[in-house]
Amino acid sequence: MAASLGNSSPTLQILCKKCKFPINPFFSFSHYNKSHNLDSFSSFSHPLTRSYCRRSTIRADSTNAVEPPRKYDFDLFTIGAGSGGVRASRFAANLGASVAICELPFATVSSDSTGGVGGTCVLRGCVPKKLLVYASKYSHEFEESCGFGWKYAAEPEHDWSTLIANKNAEIQRLTGIYKSTLKNAGVELIGGRGKIVDPHTVDVDGKLYSAKNILISVGGRPFIPDIPGSEYVIDSDAALDLPSKPKKIAIVGGGYIAVEFAGIFNGLKSDVHVFIRQKTVLRGFDEEIRDFVGEQMLLRGIEIHTEQSPQAIIKSSDGSLSLKTNKGTIDGFSHIMFATGRKPNTKNLGLESVGVKLKENGAIEVDEYSQTSVPSIWAVGDVTDRINLTPVALMEGGALAKTLFANKPTKPEYRAVPSAVFSQPPIGQVGLTEEQAIKEYGDVDVYTANFRPLKATLSGLPDRIFMKLIACAKTDKVLGLHICGEDSPEIMQGFAVAVKAGLTKADFDATVGIHPTAAEELVTMRTPTRKLRRTPSEGKTDSEFKAAAGV
Amino acid sequence: MARKMLIDGKLGNPNGEEIHYDFDLFVIGAGSGGVRASRFSAQYGAKVGICELPFHPISSEVIGGVGGTCVIRGCVPKKILVYGASFGPELQDARSYGWELNERIDFDWKKLLQKKTEEIVRLTGIYKRLLANAGVKLFEGEGRVVGPNEVEVVQLDGTKISYSAKNILIATGSRAQRVAIPGQELAITSDEALSLEELPKRAVVFGAGYIAVEFASIWRGMGATVDLFFRKELPLRGFDDEMRAVVARNLEGRGIKLHPTTNLTELVRTENGIKVCTDHGEELMADVVLFATGRAPNTKRLNLEAVGVELDKIGAVKVDEYSRTNLPTVWAIGDVTNRMNLTPVALMEGSCFAKTVFGGEPTKPDHTNVPCAVFCIPPLSVVGLSEEQAIEQANGDILVFTSTFNAMKNTISGRQEKTFMKLVVDAETDKVLGASMCGPDAPEIMQGIAIALKCGATKAQFDSTVGIHPSAAEEFVTMRSITRRIAAGKPKTNL
Repeated sequence: MAASLGNSSPTLQILCKKCKFPINPFFSFSHYNKSHNLDSFSSFSHPLTRSYCRRSTIRADSTNAVEPPRKYDFDLFTIGAGSGGVRASRFAANLGASVAICELPFATVSSDSTGGVGGTCVLRGCVPKKLLVYASKYSHEFEESCGFGWKYAAEPEHDWSTLIANKNAEIQRLTGIYKSTLKNAGVELIGGRGKIVDPHTVDVDGKLYSAKNILISVGGRPFIPDIPGSEYVIDSDAALDLPSKPKKIAIVGGGYIAVEFAGIFNGLKSDVHVFIRQKTVLRGFDEEIRDFVGEQMLLRGIEIHTEQSPQAIIKSSDGSLSLKTNKGTIDGFSHIMFATGRKPNTKNLGLESVGVKLKENGAIEVDEYSQTSVPSIWAVGDVTDRINLTPVALMEGGALAKTLFANKPTKPEYRAVPSAVFSQPPIGQVGLTEEQAIKEYGDVDVYTANFRPLKATLSGLPDRIFMKLIACAKTDKVLGLHICGEDSPEIMQGFAVAVKAGLTKADFDATVGIHPTAAEELVTMRTPTRKLRRTPSEGKTDSEFKAAAGV
Repeated sequence: MARKMLIDGKLGNPNGEEIHYDFDLFVIGAGSGGVRASRFSAQYGAKVGICELPFHPISSEVIGGVGGTCVIRGCVPKKILVYGASFGPELQDARSYGWELNERIDFDWKKLLQKKTEEIVRLTGIYKRLLANAGVKLFEGEGRVVGPNEVEVVQLDGTKISYSAKNILIATGSRAQRVAIPGQELAITSDEALSLEELPKRAVVFGAGYIAVEFASIWRGMGATVDLFFRKELPLRGFDDEMRAVVARNLEGRGIKLHPTTNLTELVRTENGIKVCTDHGEELMADVVLFATGRAPNTKRLNLEAVGVELDKIGAVKVDEYSRTNLPTVWAIGDVTNRMNLTPVALMEGSCFAKTVFGGEPTKPDHTNVPCAVFCIPPLSVVGLSEEQAIEQANGDILVFTSTFNAMKNTISGRQEKTFMKLVVDAETDKVLGASMCGPDAPEIMQGIAIALKCGATKAQFDSTVGIHPSAAEEFVTMRSITRRIAAGKPKTNL
């Protein structure tokens, strides 16, 4: 029937165009659970929209002079049902494509043969991590509450197994929701391991499926370097599903995963030691933010061992673990976790055989439209190692569906992508770091605020908030924003809209504050902390200036 | 015209005869607006004096304190109590996250009260220091306007001193009002509520404004039973109707008993507490009855009518767009002008005043797209137009995007409370006209959104922003489907 509409009347075409964003009162409220990032648009598929879009796919086919039209099982076959894969598949289906998606069986710990619908974000990343952050933050809240008059007859104790059981129930629920979302969108879900046989064929556990387009969205997995004793080490997958709470844990690594887990276990009253190769945590983040969050972590009782590289793990007869680094050996760990990076899951996917080019680290090379070196094969999300964030994978998946099935080539936009680190206290950021801004723009004005929030003045805890705004001296545009302190991720989102829209410092200043909030500080920063200028006559000749002058 | 007057003012008497004044500016009232205006004026080089009543947590005709309502009897102490009250439900939620808490968790109201008072005393000291550092001369006493260029300060010992000033700024703020019903003296206002000796076990709140819902939430969070009485169908008149309904639902969900379309008729002191009678014939007993039924500008004892400063019906000082009264040398900012009674607005008005009068740059405060927050639990925060206002003001169609969701934290705590968000968009221009949210962290989330609205951001610009995952705020940039479209000129049915 869809094909017969191929030469539909102009009237129908117009009608269909108008229906592109159908309004349906029954889908108006998105009554879904916050923790999975779905939206109701995609679960609605208007028959007219469907036929209209199907038609355009067919037309795209016929314009392809090289290859004669061929019948495929699917318009799109997606390997990997994580954030990016599910988004691309659902949106493609909503645009009229016939879509299949394959995924490995569910498990809390991923491997070559286990995964689960929902992917890293839902099963082994953002969601369970944040749930554990919520749980661990309570210990800080108990301390705070004492300053506000609350008294406990006994010190609150934490029961790890209750938390993990509740966490697992929640991710089971979410993986179920993801499955039904796929189903509602008309995407065929195939259980098993997908492997590419040729540019248009995917093998799932021995069964072959042909597809006009293949999308690889298999994500990444934790990577543990091969050092003696590495078999005793846990990664973040395992850390989210431990049978018991660590008494004393070593966390090796200084990235966001390392600092997040340090916060989690510290909050749950484990003895936490972080080992980092550098002097400060979170390489790549704004330097001042790095220093600040490091100090705050120390204040909360996390021990950070700097400039140490792991060399071996030794298991002693009592079962406890020792970590040997270039600086010495520390004994008595119940657990050693490595948060030493993630690697794209590109092994055994058949990529080399069909000629899909990979980067040195194993990530799939794609162009701006997420197309690989093989024209019918596309890739989105962590497997491409662009910006490894769920919302970016969603953006890439959404853009790809538009490119392939809406006749609207769409590039994902990577400028001013905000992000958060759920350390304790957390970080929110958008745009450039001070170092990047100086490099790119030379002349920048930096505004900072470092204050004790109202809550801390009462609680008596040493909590502080640090905020930084970087503006271009020439255009007044806000180039970067960085916050570390309570609620930073929530605060940052709205500011990200402003930064993305290219707003200026003056625009920020023209906005009235919301009192009393922490966020109002960002619209009341009147005097620059420093003005950095490329030309010596205009600026201070401090150390920052010298750094800038080198550019 | 304003500019010309200002320039004249700046140059002084055109005849060259400089009239000598004690001060370039004398400010009556050292609250948010007055302090801001004084400091900024002093920074422009003006010689500034400011007077304020002596400090006490509870205000009266003769009691005030440097820092004003915000610091001593408003935003700050209120937020401290909200923090304190929020721990109550937080502790309940902690259990599902694996925390084993003793059944007995005590709350020591006196301790919180004492710490709150310490904090506001500290802050009033900071304000005084700010004034001193800016070179502003602070007088303690009651200020009155006795002429277009003359202020009289009645000092604590009753002696009066007069000062001449080129400009006079009235920044005396406002005070809570009581409803005239029998037994009204048994009720308290928000001033006393922030300084109660004992935490009430049974609290009755009368009123539907933000102060009413905030105190209802505070007492409920601390474990009291709370009955909230108001005249309309929903609390928070003036806010978006749908948001009002959400707040009402959440208050009920947290255990506050709502009594819509109900007036209190009488309060009677009994042995067992205060008997509260309503126009529905109900009677209930309370330890505390809070009247949160509005505030009135503090203009009574300022001698304004005598010198010819015009007031409006409710007694607010009438000002033009530059905060100037009908007397060219007398200005007014903040709650006493009853424009938009918010601390940051008073600050804005104060800054604009200083710029206009002493910065040589006539500047009008811009009261559009001012964000604000209601710190009920969970809080509400809004910026821009409500759906009703948008429909009323729009020429074309209005698109409404909403999102209702269960906050991630609730998935494990089991708390049954939905977060609600709304964007109101002009269909033709795609401009976002209004944003609102009710849910945890709403005030913190709204601040950045407010910048976007202030600068006329479009829905497309919201959509092009990548979300921060997992956060509640990301919903504001991922609202894809239109909840409803309201055709131009078609009024929405009232909730």
